[in-house]
Amino acid sequence: MAGYLKPLLAVLMVFCASSGMAGEAQKDPLDSFMWERYHERFLGDAPVRFDQRVRIQAPAFAEDSGQVPIDVDASDFNGRFQRMLLWVELNPIPLVFDYRPLSDGLANLSINVRLEQSSAVRVAVLSDGVWHVGSTRIEGEGGGCTTPGIAKTEDNWSKDFGKIMARRFDHEPGSRVRVKLSHPMDSGLIPSTRPFYVEQVAFIRDGEPAATMAWQASVSENPELALTLKGKAGASYRFQARDNNGNEFDHAIP
Amino acid sequence: MPSRDGAVRLGLAKTVLFVALVLGAVLLPPRYAPAFDYELKPVAVAERTWVVEGRREELSEDNGGDIANAAFIATGDGVVVIDTGSTLNYGRALRAAIATVTDQPVRWIINTHHHPDHVFGNQAFEGAEISALPATRAALKRDADSFRATLYQRLGDAVRGTETVLPTRSVQQGEGRFGDYPLQLFAFSGHSGADLVVLDPATGVLFTGDLVFHRRAPTTPHSPGIGIWREQLRQLRALQFETLVPGHGPVSPNDSPIRETLDYLDWLDRRLAEGATRGATRNEVIQAPLPERFAGMALVRYELTRSVSHFYADYEEALLWADPDTTK
Repeated sequence: MAGYLKPLLAVLMVFCASSGMAGEAQKDPLDSFMWERYHERFLGDAPVRFDQRVRIQAPAFAEDSGQVPIDVDASDFNGRFQRMLLWVELNPIPLVFDYRPLSDGLANLSINVRLEQSSAVRVAVLSDGVWHVGSTRIEGEGGGCTTPGIAKTEDNWSKDFGKIMARRFDHEPGSRVRVKLSHPMDSGLIPSTRPFYVEQVAFIRDGEPAATMAWQASVSENPELALTLKGKAGASYRFQARDNNGNEFDHAIP
Repeated sequence: MPSRDGAVRLGLAKTVLFVALVLGAVLLPPRYAPAFDYELKPVAVAERTWVVEGRREELSEDNGGDIANAAFIATGDGVVVIDTGSTLNYGRALRAAIATVTDQPVRWIINTHHHPDHVFGNQAFEGAEISALPATRAALKRDADSFRATLYQRLGDAVRGTETVLPTRSVQQGEGRFGDYPLQLFAFSGHSGADLVVLDPATGVLFTGDLVFHRRAPTTPHSPGIGIWREQLRQLRALQFETLVPGHGPVSPNDSPIRETLDYLDWLDRRLAEGATRGATRNEVIQAPLPERFAGMALVRYELTRSVSHFYADYEEALLWADPDTTK
Protein backbone atom coordinates (compact mmCIF):
# COMPACT_ATOMS: atom_id res chain seq x y z
CA MET A 1 0.00 0.00 0.00
CA ALA A 2 0.97 3.64 -0.22
CA GLY A 3 4.64 3.62 0.70
CA TYR A 4 4.73 7.34 1.41
CA LEU A 5 2.32 6.93 4.33
CA LYS A 6 4.87 5.23 6.53
CA PRO A 7 7.38 8.06 6.84
CA LEU A 8 4.53 10.50 7.25
CA LEU A 9 3.17 8.40 10.07
CA ALA A 10 6.59 8.19 11.69
CA VAL A 11 6.95 11.96 11.59
CA LEU A 12 3.50 12.34 13.10
CA MET A 13 4.26 9.89 15.89
CA VAL A 14 7.53 11.61 16.77
CA PHE A 15 5.71 14.93 16.78
CA CYS A 16 2.95 13.66 19.04
CA ALA A 17 5.40 11.99 21.40
CA SER A 18 7.63 15.03 21.73
CA SER A 19 4.75 17.43 22.21
CA GLY A 20 3.45 15.20 24.97
CA MET A 21 6.79 15.19 26.70
CA ALA A 22 8.14 18.66 26.23
CA GLY A 23 4.89 20.54 26.80
CA GLU A 24 3.67 21.94 30.06
CA ALA A 25 3.24 19.66 33.04
CA GLN A 26 0.38 17.25 32.45
CA LYS A 27 -2.56 17.35 34.77
CA ASP A 28 -2.68 14.66 37.45
CA PRO A 29 -5.55 12.34 36.45
CA LEU A 30 -6.36 11.80 40.14
CA ASP A 31 -6.11 15.50 40.95
CA SER A 32 -4.32 14.74 44.20
CA PHE A 33 -2.80 17.53 46.24
CA MET A 34 0.15 15.29 47.12
CA TRP A 35 1.19 14.64 43.54
CA GLU A 36 3.50 17.61 43.16
CA ARG A 37 5.28 16.90 46.41
CA TYR A 38 6.25 13.33 45.53
CA HIS A 39 6.83 14.20 41.91
CA GLU A 40 9.62 16.50 43.07
CA ARG A 41 10.88 14.21 45.79
CA PHE A 42 11.04 10.93 43.86
CA LEU A 43 11.27 11.89 40.20
CA GLY A 44 13.34 15.06 40.37
CA ASP A 45 13.70 17.16 37.24
CA ALA A 46 13.28 14.44 34.61
CA PRO A 47 10.26 14.87 32.33
CA VAL A 48 7.09 13.10 33.40
CA ARG A 49 4.06 11.87 31.53
CA PHE A 50 0.98 10.11 32.77
CA ASP A 51 0.87 6.97 30.70
CA GLN A 52 -1.85 4.33 30.40
CA ARG A 53 0.78 1.76 29.50
CA VAL A 54 1.71 1.73 33.20
CA ARG A 55 -1.19 -0.29 34.53
CA ILE A 56 -1.86 -0.79 38.23
CA GLN A 57 -4.34 -3.41 39.34
CA ALA A 58 -5.52 -3.30 42.94
CA PRO A 59 -8.76 -3.92 44.81
CA ALA A 60 -10.91 -0.77 45.00
CA PHE A 61 -10.85 -1.04 48.79
CA ALA A 62 -8.54 -2.56 51.38
CA GLU A 63 -10.24 -5.41 53.22
CA ASP A 64 -7.03 -5.94 55.22
CA SER A 65 -5.05 -2.72 55.29
CA GLY A 66 -1.91 -4.62 56.32
CA GLN A 67 -1.92 -6.76 53.17
CA VAL A 68 -3.11 -4.90 50.09
CA PRO A 69 -2.11 -6.60 46.84
CA ILE A 70 -0.88 -4.34 44.05
CA ASP A 71 -0.10 -5.66 40.58
CA VAL A 72 1.88 -3.62 38.08
CA ASP A 73 1.92 -4.35 34.38
CA ALA A 74 4.07 -2.03 32.28
CA SER A 75 5.27 -4.75 29.96
CA ASP A 76 5.26 -2.34 26.98
CA PHE A 77 8.50 -1.08 28.55
CA ASN A 78 10.12 -4.50 28.85
CA GLY A 79 13.79 -4.28 27.89
CA ARG A 80 13.78 -0.49 27.81
CA PHE A 81 13.31 0.77 31.32
CA GLN A 82 15.92 1.46 33.94
CA ARG A 83 13.92 1.95 37.17
CA MET A 84 10.44 1.54 38.57
CA LEU A 85 9.11 3.20 41.73
CA LEU A 86 5.89 2.47 43.62
CA TRP A 87 4.53 4.83 46.24
CA VAL A 88 1.37 5.27 48.29
CA GLU A 89 0.82 9.00 48.69
CA LEU A 90 -0.79 9.10 52.12
CA ASN A 91 1.29 6.42 53.83
CA PRO A 92 3.62 7.67 56.58
CA ILE A 93 6.38 5.98 54.57
CA PRO A 94 5.12 6.63 51.04
CA LEU A 95 7.78 4.87 48.97
CA VAL A 96 7.30 1.09 48.72
CA PHE A 97 10.10 0.05 46.39
CA ASP A 98 12.76 1.22 43.96
CA TYR A 99 13.18 -1.53 41.37
CA ARG A 100 16.16 -1.82 39.02
CA PRO A 101 15.53 -4.44 36.39
CA LEU A 102 19.20 -4.78 35.34
CA SER A 103 19.66 -7.68 32.88
CA ASP A 104 16.63 -9.89 33.59
CA GLY A 105 13.87 -7.91 35.29
CA LEU A 106 10.60 -7.27 33.44
CA ALA A 107 7.92 -4.69 34.10
CA ASN A 108 5.40 -7.11 35.53
CA LEU A 109 5.10 -7.71 39.25
CA SER A 110 2.85 -8.02 42.28
CA ILE A 111 3.57 -7.05 45.88
CA ASN A 112 1.57 -6.73 49.10
CA VAL A 113 1.71 -3.31 50.75
CA ARG A 114 0.40 -1.53 53.82
CA LEU A 115 -2.25 1.13 53.36
CA GLU A 116 -2.60 3.64 56.18
CA GLN A 117 -5.73 5.28 54.74
CA SER A 118 -7.52 5.89 51.44
CA SER A 119 -4.82 7.03 49.05
CA ALA A 120 -3.57 7.50 45.53
CA VAL A 121 -1.07 4.86 44.47
CA ARG A 122 1.57 5.64 41.81
CA VAL A 123 3.95 3.65 39.74
CA ALA A 124 6.66 5.51 37.83
CA VAL A 125 8.72 3.78 35.14
CA LEU A 126 11.92 5.45 33.95
CA SER A 127 12.49 4.80 30.26
CA ASP A 128 15.13 6.69 28.29
CA GLY A 129 15.12 9.66 30.62
CA VAL A 130 11.33 10.03 30.89
CA TRP A 131 9.19 8.96 33.84
CA HIS A 132 5.99 7.22 32.74
CA VAL A 133 3.44 7.32 35.55
CA GLY A 134 0.42 5.13 36.20
CA SER A 135 -2.08 5.86 39.00
CA THR A 136 -4.92 4.31 40.89
CA ARG A 137 -6.77 4.92 44.11
CA ILE A 138 -7.56 2.50 46.96
CA GLU A 139 -10.13 3.11 49.67
CA GLY A 140 -8.80 2.46 53.15
CA GLU A 141 -11.91 1.25 54.87
CA GLY A 142 -12.79 -2.40 54.71
CA GLY A 143 -16.15 -4.07 54.36
CA GLY A 144 -18.99 -4.14 56.84
CA CYS A 145 -17.67 -7.10 58.75
CA THR A 146 -14.02 -6.17 58.64
CA THR A 147 -12.40 -8.01 61.45
CA PRO A 148 -10.09 -6.20 63.82
CA GLY A 149 -7.89 -9.25 64.15
CA ILE A 150 -6.87 -9.58 60.53
CA ALA A 151 -4.65 -6.55 60.17
CA LYS A 152 -2.90 -7.05 63.48
CA THR A 153 0.79 -7.76 63.44
CA GLU A 154 1.74 -11.24 64.46
CA ASP A 155 3.52 -11.31 67.79
CA ASN A 156 5.29 -14.61 67.30
CA TRP A 157 7.23 -13.64 64.20
CA SER A 158 10.49 -14.99 65.56
CA LYS A 159 9.27 -18.57 65.12
CA ASP A 160 9.46 -18.47 61.33
CA PHE A 161 11.84 -15.54 61.02
CA GLY A 162 13.84 -15.64 57.83
CA LYS A 163 11.92 -18.55 56.31
CA ILE A 164 11.77 -18.19 52.55
CA MET A 165 9.40 -19.92 50.18
CA ALA A 166 9.89 -19.63 46.44
CA ARG A 167 8.39 -21.02 43.26
CA ARG A 168 8.86 -20.46 39.56
CA PHE A 169 6.13 -20.59 36.91
CA ASP A 170 6.32 -20.26 33.14
CA HIS A 171 5.06 -16.81 32.31
CA GLU A 172 5.51 -15.20 28.91
CA PRO A 173 8.02 -13.99 27.92
CA GLY A 174 10.02 -15.66 30.74
CA SER A 175 9.26 -16.85 34.25
CA ARG A 176 7.20 -15.61 37.13
CA VAL A 177 8.98 -16.10 40.43
CA ARG A 178 6.88 -16.10 43.57
CA VAL A 179 8.70 -15.42 46.83
CA LYS A 180 7.44 -15.17 50.39
CA LEU A 181 9.80 -14.17 53.20
CA SER A 182 8.91 -14.32 56.89
CA HIS A 183 9.93 -10.97 58.31
CA PRO A 184 8.06 -8.50 60.57
CA MET A 185 8.89 -5.46 58.39
CA ASP A 186 8.55 -3.14 61.39
CA SER A 187 8.41 0.47 60.34
CA GLY A 188 9.49 1.81 63.73
CA LEU A 189 6.40 4.03 63.71
CA ILE A 190 4.62 2.02 66.41
CA PRO A 191 5.80 3.24 69.85
CA SER A 192 8.49 1.09 71.47
CA THR A 193 9.42 -0.65 68.23
CA ARG A 194 12.51 0.06 66.15
CA PRO A 195 12.66 0.01 62.38
CA PHE A 196 13.37 -3.58 61.38
CA TYR A 197 12.71 -4.32 57.74
CA VAL A 198 14.16 -5.83 54.61
CA GLU A 199 15.80 -3.06 52.62
CA GLN A 200 17.54 -4.88 49.76
CA VAL A 201 16.29 -7.70 47.57
CA ALA A 202 18.12 -9.26 44.64
CA PHE A 203 17.59 -12.01 42.12
CA ILE A 204 20.96 -13.57 41.31
CA ARG A 205 21.77 -15.47 38.13
CA ASP A 206 25.19 -16.99 37.50
CA GLY A 207 26.50 -15.22 40.58
CA GLU A 208 25.51 -11.77 39.33
CA PRO A 209 22.54 -9.60 40.30
CA ALA A 210 20.00 -9.93 37.49
CA ALA A 211 17.37 -7.64 39.08
CA THR A 212 17.30 -5.74 42.39
CA MET A 213 14.80 -3.91 44.55
CA ALA A 214 15.22 -1.54 47.47
CA TRP A 215 12.28 -1.90 49.87
CA GLN A 216 10.80 0.38 52.48
CA ALA A 217 8.73 -0.65 55.51
CA SER A 218 5.52 0.04 53.57
CA VAL A 219 5.97 -3.45 52.15
CA SER A 220 3.68 -5.74 54.16
CA GLU A 221 4.72 -7.97 57.02
CA ASN A 222 5.92 -11.33 55.68
CA PRO A 223 6.48 -9.80 52.25
CA GLU A 224 5.14 -11.47 49.15
CA LEU A 225 6.49 -10.70 45.72
CA ALA A 226 5.71 -12.01 42.26
CA LEU A 227 8.19 -10.82 39.65
CA THR A 228 8.55 -11.69 35.99
CA LEU A 229 12.14 -12.39 34.90
CA LYS A 230 13.52 -13.03 31.43
CA GLY A 231 14.94 -16.47 32.10
CA LYS A 232 12.73 -19.39 31.15
CA ALA A 233 12.65 -22.83 32.75
CA GLY A 234 16.24 -23.91 33.27
CA ALA A 235 17.52 -20.47 34.18
CA SER A 236 18.59 -20.81 37.79
CA TYR A 237 17.91 -17.84 40.03
CA ARG A 238 18.68 -17.27 43.69
CA PHE A 239 16.72 -14.92 45.88
CA GLN A 240 18.83 -12.85 48.26
CA ALA A 241 17.77 -10.20 50.75
CA ARG A 242 19.25 -8.14 53.56
CA ASP A 243 17.49 -6.26 56.36
CA ASN A 244 18.54 -3.05 58.11
CA ASN A 245 19.95 -5.06 61.03
CA GLY A 246 22.36 -6.88 58.75
CA ASN A 247 20.50 -10.20 58.59
CA GLU A 248 21.02 -11.86 55.24
CA PHE A 249 18.66 -14.26 53.50
CA ASP A 250 19.45 -16.52 50.59
CA HIS A 251 17.38 -19.16 48.82
CA ALA A 252 17.49 -20.99 45.52
CA ILE A 253 14.38 -20.66 43.34
CA PRO A 254 13.42 -24.17 42.26
CA MET B 1 -32.61 41.05 27.17
CA PRO B 2 -34.79 38.62 29.03
CA SER B 3 -32.11 35.98 29.33
CA ARG B 4 -29.83 38.34 31.23
CA ASP B 5 -32.64 39.26 33.62
CA GLY B 6 -33.21 35.56 34.10
CA ALA B 7 -29.57 35.09 34.97
CA VAL B 8 -29.69 37.91 37.51
CA ARG B 9 -32.84 36.49 39.10
CA LEU B 10 -31.24 33.07 39.22
CA GLY B 11 -28.17 34.55 40.85
CA LEU B 12 -30.36 36.27 43.43
CA ALA B 13 -32.27 33.08 44.10
CA LYS B 14 -28.98 31.27 44.61
CA THR B 15 -27.84 33.88 47.10
CA VAL B 16 -31.08 33.69 49.03
CA LEU B 17 -30.89 29.89 49.07
CA PHE B 18 -27.29 30.02 50.23
CA VAL B 19 -28.10 32.44 53.06
CA ALA B 20 -31.07 30.30 54.07
CA LEU B 21 -28.92 27.18 54.14
CA VAL B 22 -26.21 28.85 56.19
CA LEU B 23 -28.77 30.27 58.64
CA GLY B 24 -30.45 26.87 58.85
CA ALA B 25 -27.17 25.14 59.55
CA VAL B 26 -26.25 27.68 62.23
CA LEU B 27 -29.63 28.07 63.91
CA LEU B 28 -31.09 24.58 63.82
CA PRO B 29 -29.47 22.24 66.33
CA PRO B 30 -28.65 18.86 64.77
CA ARG B 31 -31.32 17.08 66.83
CA TYR B 32 -33.99 18.47 64.50
CA ALA B 33 -32.51 16.52 61.61
CA PRO B 34 -34.88 13.63 60.96
CA ALA B 35 -33.65 10.16 61.83
CA PHE B 36 -32.94 7.93 58.83
CA ASP B 37 -36.26 6.74 57.40
CA TYR B 38 -36.03 2.97 56.86
CA GLU B 39 -39.59 2.44 55.58
CA LEU B 40 -39.69 -1.13 56.88
CA LYS B 41 -42.54 -3.34 55.69
CA PRO B 42 -43.15 -6.65 57.46
CA VAL B 43 -44.26 -9.38 55.04
CA ALA B 44 -46.23 -12.32 56.44
CA VAL B 45 -44.49 -15.57 55.49
CA ALA B 46 -46.41 -18.03 57.69
CA GLU B 47 -48.94 -18.02 60.48
CA ARG B 48 -47.88 -15.36 63.12
CA THR B 49 -44.55 -14.94 61.31
CA TRP B 50 -43.23 -11.93 59.40
CA VAL B 51 -40.00 -11.04 57.62
CA VAL B 52 -38.52 -7.60 56.95
CA GLU B 53 -36.18 -8.07 54.01
CA GLY B 54 -33.01 -5.98 53.83
CA ARG B 55 -31.59 -4.60 50.64
CA ARG B 56 -29.07 -6.71 48.78
CA GLU B 57 -26.40 -4.08 49.12
CA GLU B 58 -23.33 -3.28 51.16
CA LEU B 59 -23.49 -0.85 54.10
CA SER B 60 -23.91 2.70 52.77
CA GLU B 61 -25.28 6.10 53.69
CA ASP B 62 -28.08 5.55 51.16
CA ASN B 63 -29.41 2.40 52.81
CA GLY B 64 -28.61 3.36 56.42
CA GLY B 65 -27.40 -0.19 57.03
CA ASP B 66 -30.72 -1.80 56.04
CA ILE B 67 -28.97 -4.74 54.35
CA ALA B 68 -29.88 -7.80 56.44
CA ASN B 69 -33.15 -9.61 57.07
CA ALA B 70 -35.02 -9.35 60.35
CA ALA B 71 -37.92 -11.63 61.26
CA PHE B 72 -40.40 -11.99 64.09
CA ILE B 73 -42.89 -14.44 65.54
CA ALA B 74 -45.93 -13.27 67.51
CA THR B 75 -46.15 -16.21 69.90
CA GLY B 76 -49.36 -15.10 71.61
CA ASP B 77 -47.46 -14.36 74.79
CA GLY B 78 -45.12 -11.79 73.22
CA VAL B 79 -42.98 -11.33 70.14
CA VAL B 80 -39.67 -13.08 69.36
CA VAL B 81 -37.47 -10.94 67.09
CA ILE B 82 -34.76 -12.70 65.10
CA ASP B 83 -31.94 -10.22 64.34
CA THR B 84 -32.23 -6.49 64.84
CA GLY B 85 -30.30 -4.71 62.06
CA SER B 86 -27.35 -2.30 61.95
CA THR B 87 -28.41 0.70 64.03
CA LEU B 88 -30.49 1.96 66.92
CA ASN B 89 -32.69 3.79 64.41
CA TYR B 90 -33.24 0.58 62.45
CA GLY B 91 -34.16 -1.21 65.69
CA ARG B 92 -36.70 1.53 66.48
CA ALA B 93 -38.14 1.36 62.97
CA LEU B 94 -38.38 -2.43 63.30
CA ARG B 95 -40.19 -2.08 66.64
CA ALA B 96 -42.63 0.36 65.05
CA ALA B 97 -43.14 -1.94 62.07
CA ILE B 98 -43.88 -4.86 64.40
CA ALA B 99 -46.50 -2.72 66.18
CA THR B 100 -48.34 -2.28 62.86
CA VAL B 101 -49.15 -6.00 62.71
CA THR B 102 -49.43 -7.12 66.35
CA ASP B 103 -50.24 -5.62 69.75
CA GLN B 104 -48.00 -8.10 71.56
CA PRO B 105 -44.87 -6.63 73.18
CA VAL B 106 -41.41 -7.68 72.04
CA ARG B 107 -40.23 -9.89 74.90
CA TRP B 108 -37.41 -11.86 73.28
CA ILE B 109 -34.63 -11.23 70.81
CA ILE B 110 -32.44 -13.82 69.13
CA ASN B 111 -29.10 -12.76 67.65
CA THR B 112 -28.24 -15.42 65.06
CA HIS B 113 -24.60 -14.28 65.03
CA HIS B 114 -22.43 -11.32 66.02
CA HIS B 115 -22.07 -9.40 62.74
CA PRO B 116 -22.92 -5.68 62.92
CA ASP B 117 -25.79 -5.78 60.41
CA HIS B 118 -27.67 -8.21 62.71
CA VAL B 119 -27.17 -6.98 66.28
CA PHE B 120 -26.96 -3.21 66.61
CA GLY B 121 -30.72 -2.73 66.75
CA ASN B 122 -30.73 -4.65 70.10
CA GLN B 123 -30.62 -1.31 71.90
CA ALA B 124 -34.12 -0.37 70.68
CA PHE B 125 -35.77 -3.23 72.58
CA GLU B 126 -35.26 -2.26 76.19
CA GLY B 127 -36.31 -4.96 78.63
CA ALA B 128 -36.32 -7.76 76.07
CA GLU B 129 -34.25 -10.85 76.80
CA ILE B 130 -31.51 -11.30 74.17
CA SER B 131 -30.56 -14.88 73.35
CA ALA B 132 -27.44 -16.00 71.52
CA LEU B 133 -24.80 -18.69 71.48
CA PRO B 134 -22.11 -18.02 74.14
CA ALA B 135 -19.46 -17.65 71.41
CA THR B 136 -21.62 -15.03 69.69
CA ARG B 137 -21.66 -12.94 72.84
CA ALA B 138 -17.90 -13.28 73.27
CA ALA B 139 -17.24 -12.36 69.64
CA LEU B 140 -19.51 -9.32 69.79
CA LYS B 141 -17.81 -8.16 72.97
CA ARG B 142 -14.45 -8.53 71.23
CA ASP B 143 -15.38 -6.82 67.94
CA ALA B 144 -18.09 -4.32 68.93
CA ASP B 145 -15.90 -1.21 69.05
CA SER B 146 -14.33 -1.87 65.68
CA PHE B 147 -17.76 -2.72 64.21
CA ARG B 148 -19.19 0.54 65.49
CA ALA B 149 -16.25 2.46 64.05
CA THR B 150 -16.94 0.84 60.69
CA LEU B 151 -20.65 1.64 60.93
CA TYR B 152 -19.96 5.30 61.68
CA GLN B 153 -17.57 5.42 58.74
CA ARG B 154 -19.97 3.78 56.31
CA LEU B 155 -23.45 4.92 57.42
CA GLY B 156 -22.83 8.42 58.67
CA ASP B 157 -25.80 9.97 60.42
CA ALA B 158 -28.06 6.89 60.36
CA VAL B 159 -25.96 5.20 63.04
CA ARG B 160 -26.19 8.12 65.50
CA GLY B 161 -26.78 7.06 69.12
CA THR B 162 -26.11 3.39 68.47
CA GLU B 163 -24.54 1.54 71.40
CA THR B 164 -23.53 -2.06 71.87
CA VAL B 165 -26.07 -4.18 73.76
CA LEU B 166 -24.74 -7.69 74.41
CA PRO B 167 -26.90 -10.82 74.58
CA THR B 168 -28.27 -11.54 78.07
CA ARG B 169 -29.12 -15.24 77.77
CA SER B 170 -26.91 -18.09 76.53
CA VAL B 171 -28.63 -20.75 74.45
CA GLN B 172 -27.38 -24.10 73.17
CA GLN B 173 -28.37 -26.53 70.49
CA GLY B 174 -31.73 -28.12 71.35
CA GLU B 175 -35.15 -26.84 72.28
CA GLY B 176 -35.31 -23.25 73.42
CA ARG B 177 -38.39 -21.88 75.19
CA PHE B 178 -39.60 -18.34 74.73
CA GLY B 179 -42.30 -18.12 77.34
CA ASP B 180 -44.25 -21.27 76.52
CA TYR B 181 -43.32 -21.14 72.85
CA PRO B 182 -40.79 -23.81 71.81
CA LEU B 183 -38.23 -23.19 69.05
CA GLN B 184 -35.70 -25.71 67.79
CA LEU B 185 -32.15 -24.27 67.95
CA PHE B 186 -29.14 -25.49 65.99
CA ALA B 187 -25.57 -24.40 66.71
CA PHE B 188 -23.34 -24.06 63.63
CA SER B 189 -20.16 -22.11 62.93
CA GLY B 190 -19.54 -22.00 59.17
CA HIS B 191 -20.31 -18.34 58.48
CA SER B 192 -19.10 -16.42 61.53
CA GLY B 193 -17.68 -18.91 64.03
CA ALA B 194 -20.99 -19.12 65.93
CA ASP B 195 -24.18 -19.30 63.89
CA LEU B 196 -27.56 -20.03 65.40
CA VAL B 197 -30.23 -21.54 63.16
CA VAL B 198 -33.83 -21.43 64.40
CA LEU B 199 -36.63 -23.77 63.34
CA ASP B 200 -40.20 -23.09 64.39
CA PRO B 201 -41.73 -26.58 64.55
CA ALA B 202 -45.26 -25.15 64.65
CA THR B 203 -45.03 -23.29 61.36
CA GLY B 204 -42.11 -25.05 59.67
CA VAL B 205 -40.22 -21.77 59.18
CA LEU B 206 -36.44 -22.14 59.18
CA PHE B 207 -34.46 -19.00 60.08
CA THR B 208 -30.94 -19.68 58.86
CA GLY B 209 -29.16 -16.43 59.73
CA ASP B 210 -26.15 -15.87 57.48
CA LEU B 211 -25.39 -19.54 57.11
CA VAL B 212 -27.57 -19.08 54.01
CA PHE B 213 -27.53 -16.19 51.52
CA HIS B 214 -30.02 -15.82 48.68
CA ARG B 215 -29.31 -13.89 45.46
CA ARG B 216 -26.58 -12.07 47.35
CA ALA B 217 -22.99 -13.27 47.59
CA PRO B 218 -21.98 -14.78 50.95
CA THR B 219 -19.57 -12.85 53.18
CA THR B 220 -16.66 -14.68 54.79
CA PRO B 221 -14.70 -12.53 57.28
CA HIS B 222 -14.97 -14.77 60.35
CA SER B 223 -15.65 -18.07 58.65
CA PRO B 224 -13.55 -20.92 60.06
CA GLY B 225 -13.26 -22.22 56.50
CA ILE B 226 -15.21 -22.80 53.32
CA GLY B 227 -15.07 -26.58 53.86
CA ILE B 228 -16.70 -26.39 57.31
CA TRP B 229 -19.39 -24.06 56.01
CA ARG B 230 -20.19 -26.37 53.10
CA GLU B 231 -20.42 -29.39 55.38
CA GLN B 232 -22.88 -27.57 57.65
CA LEU B 233 -25.03 -26.51 54.69
CA ARG B 234 -25.33 -30.18 53.76
CA GLN B 235 -26.54 -30.87 57.31
CA LEU B 236 -28.99 -28.00 57.00
CA ARG B 237 -30.46 -29.46 53.81
CA ALA B 238 -31.44 -32.56 55.74
CA LEU B 239 -33.83 -30.59 57.97
CA GLN B 240 -37.57 -30.65 57.30
CA PHE B 241 -39.02 -27.19 56.79
CA GLU B 242 -41.76 -25.38 54.87
CA THR B 243 -40.26 -21.92 54.48
CA LEU B 244 -36.66 -20.73 54.53
CA VAL B 245 -35.73 -17.25 55.78
CA PRO B 246 -32.11 -16.52 54.78
CA GLY B 247 -29.91 -13.94 56.49
CA HIS B 248 -29.87 -11.88 53.28
CA GLY B 249 -32.15 -12.04 50.26
CA PRO B 250 -35.69 -13.23 49.59
CA VAL B 251 -37.62 -15.86 51.52
CA SER B 252 -37.96 -19.22 49.80
CA PRO B 253 -40.49 -22.10 49.95
CA ASN B 254 -37.71 -24.66 49.42
CA ASP B 255 -33.99 -25.30 49.88
CA SER B 256 -32.85 -23.45 46.76
CA PRO B 257 -31.05 -20.74 48.82
CA ILE B 258 -29.05 -23.50 50.53
CA ARG B 259 -28.12 -24.99 47.17
CA GLU B 260 -27.24 -21.57 45.85
CA THR B 261 -24.98 -20.81 48.83
CA LEU B 262 -23.34 -24.25 48.44
CA ASP B 263 -22.83 -23.65 44.74
CA TYR B 264 -21.19 -20.28 45.40
CA LEU B 265 -18.91 -21.68 48.11
CA ASP B 266 -17.93 -24.62 45.88
CA TRP B 267 -17.06 -22.19 43.14
CA LEU B 268 -15.14 -19.89 45.53
CA ASP B 269 -13.19 -22.87 46.85
CA ARG B 270 -12.27 -24.00 43.33
CA ARG B 271 -11.38 -20.48 42.21
CA LEU B 272 -8.99 -19.96 45.14
CA ALA B 273 -7.50 -23.45 44.86
CA GLU B 274 -6.96 -23.18 41.13
CA GLY B 275 -5.36 -19.73 41.48
CA ALA B 276 -3.02 -20.79 44.27
CA THR B 277 -1.96 -23.90 42.36
CA ARG B 278 -0.82 -21.95 39.31
CA GLY B 279 0.77 -19.11 41.29
CA ALA B 280 -1.83 -16.48 40.36
CA THR B 281 -1.68 -13.15 42.17
CA ARG B 282 -4.56 -12.04 44.37
CA ASN B 283 -5.60 -9.42 41.85
CA GLU B 284 -5.67 -12.00 39.06
CA VAL B 285 -7.97 -14.19 41.14
CA ILE B 286 -10.23 -11.20 41.89
CA GLN B 287 -10.37 -9.87 38.34
CA ALA B 288 -10.88 -13.09 36.35
CA PRO B 289 -14.35 -13.33 34.73
CA LEU B 290 -17.29 -14.41 36.88
CA PRO B 291 -19.55 -17.33 35.95
CA GLU B 292 -22.72 -16.29 34.13
CA ARG B 293 -24.91 -18.18 36.56
CA PHE B 294 -24.03 -15.60 39.23
CA ALA B 295 -25.38 -12.73 37.13
CA GLY B 296 -28.49 -12.49 39.33
CA MET B 297 -26.48 -12.57 42.55
CA ALA B 298 -25.66 -9.20 44.13
CA LEU B 299 -22.11 -8.19 45.17
CA VAL B 300 -20.21 -11.19 43.80
CA ARG B 301 -17.05 -9.28 42.78
CA TYR B 302 -17.17 -7.29 46.00
CA GLU B 303 -17.38 -10.36 48.22
CA LEU B 304 -14.84 -12.23 46.11
CA THR B 305 -12.42 -9.35 46.73
CA ARG B 306 -12.99 -9.70 50.45
CA SER B 307 -12.81 -13.49 50.48
CA VAL B 308 -9.47 -13.43 48.65
CA SER B 309 -8.20 -11.28 51.51
CA HIS B 310 -9.65 -13.69 54.09
CA PHE B 311 -8.61 -17.02 52.58
CA TYR B 312 -6.10 -16.83 49.75
CA ALA B 313 -3.02 -17.01 52.00
CA ASP B 314 -4.37 -20.30 53.44
CA TYR B 315 -4.85 -21.75 49.97
CA GLU B 316 -1.35 -20.66 49.01
CA GLU B 317 0.00 -22.21 52.19
CA ALA B 318 -1.55 -25.53 51.24
CA LEU B 319 -1.19 -25.53 47.46
CA LEU B 320 1.61 -23.14 46.51
CA TRP B 321 4.13 -23.28 49.32
CA ALA B 322 3.53 -26.75 50.75
CA ASP B 323 5.33 -28.37 47.81
CA PRO B 324 8.32 -30.09 49.49
CA ASP B 325 10.71 -28.67 46.89
CA THR B 326 9.92 -25.08 47.80
CA THR B 327 11.59 -24.91 51.20
CA LYS B 328 15.21 -25.50 52.02
